[in-house]
Amino acid sequence: MSHSNIFLKSGFINVPLKNGIGRYVGQLQRVVLKFCKNNGSSAGMREFIETELVNFAKSNPGVVVYVKPRRHKTAVIKAEYLNGDSQWLNCRNFTKEEIQKWLELLKRQQINHDGQRIRKLWHTDHPSIQGPWTPFTFRDPQLNLATFPDERLSKSDVIASTSQDELVEMFKKQKLKELQSAN
Amino acid sequence: MALYLRQLCAQFRNIHVQTSSKLLKNVVDANAEKNERNEIVKKVNDLVANNAHGRLFAVVHLAGKQFKVTDGDVIIIEGYWPPDVGDKITLDKVMLAGSADFSLIGRPILEKGLVNVQATVIEKTMSHTKTHFRKKRRKQYMRTHFYRVPQTFLRINEVSIQDEVDNPKEVRGLETAVF
Repeated sequence: MSHSNIFLKSGFINVPLKNGIGRYVGQLQRVVLKFCKNNGSSAGMREFIETELVNFAKSNPGVVVYVKPRRHKTAVIKAEYLNGDSQWLNCRNFTKEEIQKWLELLKRQQINHDGQRIRKLWHTDHPSIQGPWTPFTFRDPQLNLATFPDERLSKSDVIASTSQDELVEMFKKQKLKELQSAN
Repeated sequence: MALYLRQLCAQFRNIHVQTSSKLLKNVVDANAEKNERNEIVKKVNDLVANNAHGRLFAVVHLAGKQFKVTDGDVIIIEGYWPPDVGDKITLDKVMLAGSADFSLIGRPILEKGLVNVQATVIEKTMSHTKTHFRKKRRKQYMRTHFYRVPQTFLRINEVSIQDEVDNPKEVRGLETAVF
Protein backbone atom coordinates (compact mmCIF):
# COMPACT_ATOMS: atom_id res chain seq x y z
CA MET A 1 0.00 0.00 0.00
CA SER A 2 1.43 3.26 -1.07
CA HIS A 3 1.28 6.14 1.36
CA SER A 4 1.62 8.97 -1.13
CA ASN A 5 -1.76 10.16 0.15
CA ILE A 6 -0.21 11.41 3.35
CA PHE A 7 1.67 14.08 1.43
CA LEU A 8 -1.64 15.51 0.26
CA LYS A 9 -2.96 18.50 2.11
CA SER A 10 -5.62 17.22 4.47
CA GLY A 11 -8.66 18.96 5.81
CA PHE A 12 -12.16 18.61 7.12
CA ILE A 13 -15.54 19.06 5.47
CA ASN A 14 -15.86 22.64 4.32
CA VAL A 15 -19.23 23.70 2.97
CA PRO A 16 -19.22 27.27 1.65
CA LEU A 17 -21.95 29.74 2.59
CA LYS A 18 -23.80 27.23 4.81
CA ASN A 19 -25.28 25.72 1.66
CA GLY A 20 -28.32 23.51 2.11
CA ILE A 21 -29.47 24.90 5.46
CA GLY A 22 -32.21 26.97 3.85
CA ARG A 23 -32.12 25.78 0.27
CA TYR A 24 -29.54 24.36 -2.08
CA VAL A 25 -27.66 26.85 -4.27
CA GLY A 26 -25.53 25.55 -7.14
CA GLN A 27 -21.99 26.76 -6.49
CA LEU A 28 -20.59 26.64 -10.03
CA GLN A 29 -20.56 30.22 -11.24
CA ARG A 30 -18.74 30.19 -14.55
CA VAL A 31 -17.19 27.63 -16.86
CA VAL A 32 -14.78 28.40 -19.72
CA LEU A 33 -14.17 25.84 -22.47
CA LYS A 34 -10.86 26.55 -24.21
CA PHE A 35 -9.97 24.70 -27.42
CA CYS A 36 -8.21 24.83 -30.78
CA LYS A 37 -10.19 24.94 -34.02
CA ASN A 38 -7.71 22.83 -35.97
CA ASN A 39 -5.85 20.45 -33.70
CA GLY A 40 -7.00 16.85 -33.31
CA SER A 41 -6.53 16.89 -29.54
CA SER A 42 -9.51 19.30 -29.33
CA ALA A 43 -11.74 17.19 -31.60
CA GLY A 44 -13.87 15.88 -28.74
CA MET A 45 -14.26 19.35 -27.28
CA ARG A 46 -15.35 20.73 -30.66
CA GLU A 47 -17.89 17.95 -31.02
CA PHE A 48 -19.19 18.64 -27.54
CA ILE A 49 -19.56 22.34 -28.31
CA GLU A 50 -21.41 21.56 -31.55
CA THR A 51 -23.86 19.03 -30.11
CA GLU A 52 -24.23 19.27 -26.31
CA LEU A 53 -23.16 22.69 -25.11
CA VAL A 54 -26.45 24.47 -25.82
CA ASN A 55 -28.38 21.79 -23.94
CA PHE A 56 -25.98 22.07 -21.02
CA ALA A 57 -26.32 25.84 -20.89
CA LYS A 58 -30.11 25.65 -21.14
CA SER A 59 -30.47 23.07 -18.40
CA ASN A 60 -28.15 25.03 -16.08
CA PRO A 61 -29.33 28.65 -16.16
CA GLY A 62 -27.24 29.43 -13.07
CA VAL A 63 -23.97 28.71 -14.86
CA VAL A 64 -22.29 31.17 -17.24
CA VAL A 65 -20.68 29.29 -20.14
CA TYR A 66 -17.83 30.81 -22.13
CA VAL A 67 -16.22 29.28 -25.22
CA LYS A 68 -12.70 30.45 -26.02
CA PRO A 69 -10.93 29.26 -29.19
CA ARG A 70 -7.16 29.64 -29.25
CA ARG A 71 -4.71 28.39 -31.82
CA HIS A 72 -2.45 25.38 -31.25
CA LYS A 73 -3.28 24.85 -27.59
CA THR A 74 -4.69 21.85 -25.72
CA ALA A 75 -8.39 21.81 -24.82
CA VAL A 76 -9.03 22.93 -21.24
CA ILE A 77 -11.99 23.41 -18.93
CA LYS A 78 -11.80 26.08 -16.29
CA ALA A 79 -14.52 26.18 -13.64
CA GLU A 80 -15.04 29.06 -11.23
CA TYR A 81 -17.04 28.75 -8.03
CA LEU A 82 -19.04 31.21 -5.95
CA ASN A 83 -16.51 31.19 -3.11
CA GLY A 84 -13.69 32.26 -5.45
CA ASP A 85 -12.19 28.82 -6.05
CA SER A 86 -11.33 27.82 -9.60
CA GLN A 87 -10.47 24.43 -11.04
CA TRP A 88 -8.45 23.87 -14.19
CA LEU A 89 -8.86 20.60 -16.09
CA ASN A 90 -6.71 19.39 -18.96
CA CYS A 91 -8.95 17.85 -21.67
CA ARG A 92 -6.33 16.74 -24.19
CA ASN A 93 -7.73 14.02 -26.49
CA PHE A 94 -10.93 13.78 -24.44
CA THR A 95 -14.01 12.43 -26.18
CA LYS A 96 -17.36 14.19 -26.13
CA GLU A 97 -18.66 11.83 -23.44
CA GLU A 98 -15.64 12.35 -21.21
CA ILE A 99 -16.01 16.11 -21.42
CA GLN A 100 -19.68 15.81 -20.56
CA LYS A 101 -18.88 13.63 -17.56
CA TRP A 102 -16.25 16.01 -16.18
CA LEU A 103 -18.49 19.01 -16.75
CA GLU A 104 -21.27 17.31 -14.76
CA LEU A 105 -18.79 16.63 -11.95
CA LEU A 106 -17.62 20.25 -11.90
CA LYS A 107 -21.25 21.37 -11.82
CA ARG A 108 -22.08 19.21 -8.79
CA GLN A 109 -19.02 20.29 -6.79
CA GLN A 110 -19.03 23.22 -4.40
CA ILE A 111 -15.34 24.01 -4.22
CA ASN A 112 -12.13 22.81 -5.79
CA HIS A 113 -11.31 19.60 -3.93
CA ASP A 114 -8.13 18.96 -5.93
CA GLY A 115 -5.13 17.92 -3.86
CA GLN A 116 -7.08 17.68 -0.65
CA ARG A 117 -7.77 14.63 1.47
CA ILE A 118 -10.85 14.74 3.69
CA ARG A 119 -10.07 13.34 7.12
CA LYS A 120 -13.58 12.76 8.39
CA LEU A 121 -16.90 11.85 6.78
CA TRP A 122 -18.86 13.81 9.36
CA HIS A 123 -19.01 17.44 10.41
CA THR A 124 -21.05 18.71 13.33
CA ASP A 125 -21.27 21.87 15.41
CA HIS A 126 -22.84 19.93 18.31
CA PRO A 127 -20.63 16.93 19.01
CA SER A 128 -22.43 15.87 22.18
CA ILE A 129 -26.05 16.37 23.17
CA GLN A 130 -26.35 14.19 26.25
CA GLY A 131 -22.90 15.24 27.47
CA PRO A 132 -19.76 13.15 27.66
CA TRP A 133 -19.78 10.04 29.80
CA THR A 134 -18.27 10.35 33.27
CA PRO A 135 -17.84 7.72 36.01
CA PHE A 136 -20.89 9.26 37.73
CA THR A 137 -23.21 8.94 34.73
CA PHE A 138 -26.23 6.73 35.52
CA ARG A 139 -25.09 6.27 39.12
CA ASP A 140 -27.42 6.31 42.12
CA PRO A 141 -27.99 10.01 42.96
CA GLN A 142 -27.98 9.08 46.64
CA LEU A 143 -24.22 9.15 46.35
CA ASN A 144 -24.54 12.95 46.25
CA LEU A 145 -25.99 12.96 49.77
CA ALA A 146 -23.41 10.67 51.32
CA THR A 147 -21.21 12.15 54.06
CA PHE A 148 -17.65 10.96 54.23
CA PRO A 149 -16.08 9.05 55.85
CA ASP A 150 -18.80 6.52 55.03
CA GLU A 151 -18.24 3.02 56.34
CA ARG A 152 -20.21 1.27 53.57
CA LEU A 153 -18.71 3.25 50.69
CA SER A 154 -15.18 3.09 52.06
CA LYS A 155 -15.32 -0.69 52.26
CA SER A 156 -13.22 -2.58 49.79
CA ASP A 157 -15.00 -4.30 46.92
CA VAL A 158 -12.67 -7.26 47.31
CA ILE A 159 -14.54 -9.77 49.45
CA ALA A 160 -11.74 -12.36 49.63
CA SER A 161 -9.90 -12.29 52.98
CA THR A 162 -6.32 -11.12 53.13
CA SER A 163 -3.43 -13.38 54.05
CA GLN A 164 -3.17 -11.50 57.33
CA ASP A 165 -6.80 -12.37 58.13
CA GLU A 166 -6.13 -15.99 57.31
CA LEU A 167 -3.10 -16.05 59.59
CA VAL A 168 -5.17 -14.59 62.41
CA GLU A 169 -7.86 -17.23 61.82
CA MET A 170 -5.25 -20.02 61.84
CA PHE A 171 -3.81 -18.65 65.08
CA LYS A 172 -7.24 -18.53 66.69
CA LYS A 173 -7.96 -22.13 65.65
CA GLN A 174 -4.61 -23.22 67.01
CA LYS A 175 -5.34 -21.52 70.32
CA LEU A 176 -8.78 -23.17 70.51
CA LYS A 177 -7.23 -26.58 69.88
CA GLU A 178 -4.67 -25.95 72.55
CA LEU A 179 -7.40 -24.97 75.00
CA GLN A 180 -9.49 -28.02 74.12
CA SER A 181 -6.50 -30.39 74.48
CA ALA A 182 -5.65 -28.74 77.83
CA ASN A 183 -9.17 -29.39 79.08
CA MET B 1 -35.22 16.70 34.19
CA ALA B 2 -32.73 13.87 33.79
CA LEU B 3 -31.79 14.26 37.39
CA TYR B 4 -35.43 14.11 38.42
CA LEU B 5 -35.95 10.89 36.43
CA ARG B 6 -32.89 9.39 38.01
CA GLN B 7 -34.12 10.35 41.48
CA LEU B 8 -37.45 8.77 40.67
CA CYS B 9 -35.71 5.57 39.59
CA ALA B 10 -33.69 5.58 42.77
CA GLN B 11 -36.85 5.95 44.86
CA PHE B 12 -38.45 3.01 43.10
CA ARG B 13 -35.33 0.98 43.66
CA ASN B 14 -35.45 1.77 47.37
CA ILE B 15 -39.12 0.87 47.66
CA HIS B 16 -38.45 -2.39 45.92
CA VAL B 17 -35.58 -3.21 48.26
CA GLN B 18 -37.60 -2.36 51.35
CA THR B 19 -40.66 -4.38 50.40
CA SER B 20 -38.67 -7.40 49.37
CA SER B 21 -36.67 -7.37 52.59
CA LYS B 22 -39.76 -6.91 54.74
CA LEU B 23 -41.89 -9.57 53.07
CA LEU B 24 -40.51 -12.51 51.20
CA LYS B 25 -37.18 -12.73 49.56
CA ASN B 26 -37.00 -12.77 45.73
CA VAL B 27 -40.52 -11.37 45.25
CA VAL B 28 -40.69 -8.62 42.61
CA ASP B 29 -43.61 -6.22 42.51
CA ALA B 30 -44.90 -6.54 38.95
CA ASN B 31 -46.73 -3.23 39.01
CA ALA B 32 -43.83 -1.16 40.28
CA GLU B 33 -41.80 -1.72 37.15
CA LYS B 34 -44.81 -1.12 34.90
CA ASN B 35 -45.75 2.09 36.69
CA GLU B 36 -42.21 3.35 36.50
CA ARG B 37 -42.11 2.66 32.78
CA ASN B 38 -45.46 4.36 32.13
CA GLU B 39 -44.34 7.36 34.13
CA ILE B 40 -41.18 7.72 32.06
CA VAL B 41 -43.04 7.30 28.76
CA LYS B 42 -45.56 9.90 29.86
CA LYS B 43 -42.81 12.34 30.73
CA VAL B 44 -41.16 11.85 27.32
CA ASN B 45 -44.50 12.33 25.57
CA ASP B 46 -45.14 15.51 27.57
CA LEU B 47 -41.74 16.84 26.56
CA VAL B 48 -42.47 16.06 22.91
CA ALA B 49 -45.98 17.56 23.06
CA ASN B 50 -44.70 20.81 24.62
CA ASN B 51 -41.67 20.86 22.31
CA ALA B 52 -39.51 21.19 25.44
CA HIS B 53 -36.96 18.50 24.60
CA GLY B 54 -34.37 20.81 23.05
CA ARG B 55 -31.92 19.61 20.43
CA LEU B 56 -32.46 16.07 19.16
CA PHE B 57 -29.98 13.67 17.67
CA ALA B 58 -30.47 10.44 15.74
CA VAL B 59 -28.37 7.52 14.65
CA VAL B 60 -29.27 6.75 11.04
CA HIS B 61 -28.28 3.79 8.94
CA LEU B 62 -27.36 5.03 5.49
CA ALA B 63 -25.64 3.22 2.61
CA GLY B 64 -24.16 0.59 4.92
CA LYS B 65 -22.82 3.00 7.50
CA GLN B 66 -24.22 4.50 10.68
CA PHE B 67 -24.07 8.22 11.36
CA LYS B 68 -24.93 10.16 14.50
CA VAL B 69 -26.61 13.29 13.20
CA THR B 70 -28.29 16.40 14.52
CA ASP B 71 -29.63 19.57 12.86
CA GLY B 72 -27.07 21.25 10.62
CA ASP B 73 -24.62 18.35 10.35
CA VAL B 74 -22.88 17.45 7.10
CA ILE B 75 -22.16 13.80 6.34
CA ILE B 76 -20.43 12.16 3.38
CA ILE B 77 -21.70 8.99 1.76
CA GLU B 78 -19.05 7.08 -0.13
CA GLY B 79 -19.68 4.95 -3.18
CA TYR B 80 -22.28 5.07 -5.91
CA TRP B 81 -25.49 6.62 -4.60
CA PRO B 82 -28.12 7.88 -7.06
CA PRO B 83 -29.68 11.02 -5.42
CA ASP B 84 -28.72 14.24 -7.21
CA VAL B 85 -27.72 17.63 -5.84
CA GLY B 86 -30.61 19.68 -4.49
CA ASP B 87 -32.70 16.59 -3.70
CA LYS B 88 -34.46 16.65 -0.35
CA ILE B 89 -34.69 13.21 1.19
CA THR B 90 -36.01 11.57 4.35
CA LEU B 91 -33.75 9.15 6.15
CA ASP B 92 -36.00 6.31 7.28
CA LYS B 93 -33.67 3.85 8.99
CA VAL B 94 -33.44 5.58 12.35
CA MET B 95 -31.76 3.27 14.85
CA LEU B 96 -31.75 5.61 17.82
CA ALA B 97 -33.02 9.07 18.63
CA GLY B 98 -32.52 11.15 21.72
CA SER B 99 -32.36 14.50 23.45
CA ALA B 100 -30.48 15.60 26.54
CA ASP B 101 -33.08 13.89 28.75
CA PHE B 102 -34.11 10.69 26.99
CA SER B 103 -33.12 8.18 24.31
CA LEU B 104 -35.40 6.14 22.09
CA ILE B 105 -33.71 2.92 21.09
CA GLY B 106 -34.86 0.91 18.06
CA ARG B 107 -34.84 -2.86 17.85
CA PRO B 108 -33.08 -2.59 15.42
CA ILE B 109 -34.82 0.49 13.97
CA LEU B 110 -37.50 2.76 15.36
CA GLU B 111 -40.97 2.38 13.90
CA LYS B 112 -41.44 4.33 10.72
CA GLY B 113 -42.99 7.76 11.16
CA LEU B 114 -41.89 8.20 14.77
CA VAL B 115 -38.73 10.19 14.06
CA ASN B 116 -38.34 12.42 11.02
CA VAL B 117 -34.83 13.02 9.69
CA GLN B 118 -34.73 15.37 6.68
CA ALA B 119 -31.63 15.92 4.57
CA THR B 120 -30.55 17.79 1.43
CA VAL B 121 -27.96 16.57 -1.05
CA ILE B 122 -25.56 19.49 -1.45
CA GLU B 123 -22.63 18.08 -3.34
CA LYS B 124 -21.54 15.13 -5.46
CA THR B 125 -17.86 14.83 -6.03
CA MET B 126 -14.95 12.39 -6.00
CA SER B 127 -12.47 11.64 -3.24
CA HIS B 128 -8.72 12.27 -3.65
CA THR B 129 -6.88 9.74 -5.81
CA LYS B 130 -6.18 6.65 -3.75
CA THR B 131 -3.46 4.15 -4.58
CA HIS B 132 -3.97 0.42 -4.56
CA PHE B 133 -0.59 -1.24 -4.67
CA ARG B 134 -0.12 -5.03 -4.82
CA LYS B 135 3.14 -6.93 -4.71
CA LYS B 136 4.07 -10.59 -4.39
CA ARG B 137 7.53 -11.25 -3.14
CA ARG B 138 9.95 -13.21 -5.35
CA LYS B 139 7.27 -13.58 -8.06
CA GLN B 140 8.04 -10.57 -10.26
CA TYR B 141 4.50 -9.36 -9.62
CA MET B 142 3.65 -5.74 -8.99
CA ARG B 143 0.45 -3.81 -9.81
CA THR B 144 -0.46 -0.24 -9.06
CA HIS B 145 -4.03 0.93 -9.45
CA PHE B 146 -5.37 4.41 -8.90
CA TYR B 147 -8.98 5.01 -8.05
CA ARG B 148 -11.33 7.69 -6.77
CA VAL B 149 -14.48 7.03 -4.75
CA PRO B 150 -17.70 8.94 -5.52
CA GLN B 151 -18.74 11.04 -2.55
CA THR B 152 -22.12 12.58 -1.75
CA PHE B 153 -22.39 15.39 0.79
CA LEU B 154 -25.62 15.47 2.78
CA ARG B 155 -26.83 18.35 4.93
CA ILE B 156 -29.12 17.26 7.77
CA ASN B 157 -31.94 19.79 7.90
CA GLU B 158 -34.15 18.47 10.63
CA VAL B 159 -34.38 15.81 13.31
CA SER B 160 -37.80 15.78 14.96
CA ILE B 161 -40.20 13.45 16.73
CA GLN B 162 -43.46 13.23 14.81
CA ASP B 163 -45.49 10.71 16.75
CA GLU B 164 -46.31 9.59 20.27
CA VAL B 165 -43.63 7.48 21.89
CA ASP B 166 -44.60 3.90 22.77
CA ASN B 167 -47.93 4.11 20.99
CA PRO B 168 -47.46 2.22 17.72
CA LYS B 169 -50.17 2.28 15.10
CA GLU B 170 -51.55 -1.22 15.11
CA VAL B 171 -53.10 -1.09 11.67
CA ARG B 172 -51.15 0.69 9.02
CA GLY B 173 -52.44 2.22 5.84
CA LEU B 174 -50.67 2.51 2.54
CA GLU B 175 -48.51 5.44 3.66
CA THR B 176 -45.76 3.09 4.77
CA ALA B 177 -45.91 0.73 1.79
CA VAL B 178 -43.11 0.82 -0.74
CA PHE B 179 -44.09 0.53 -4.39
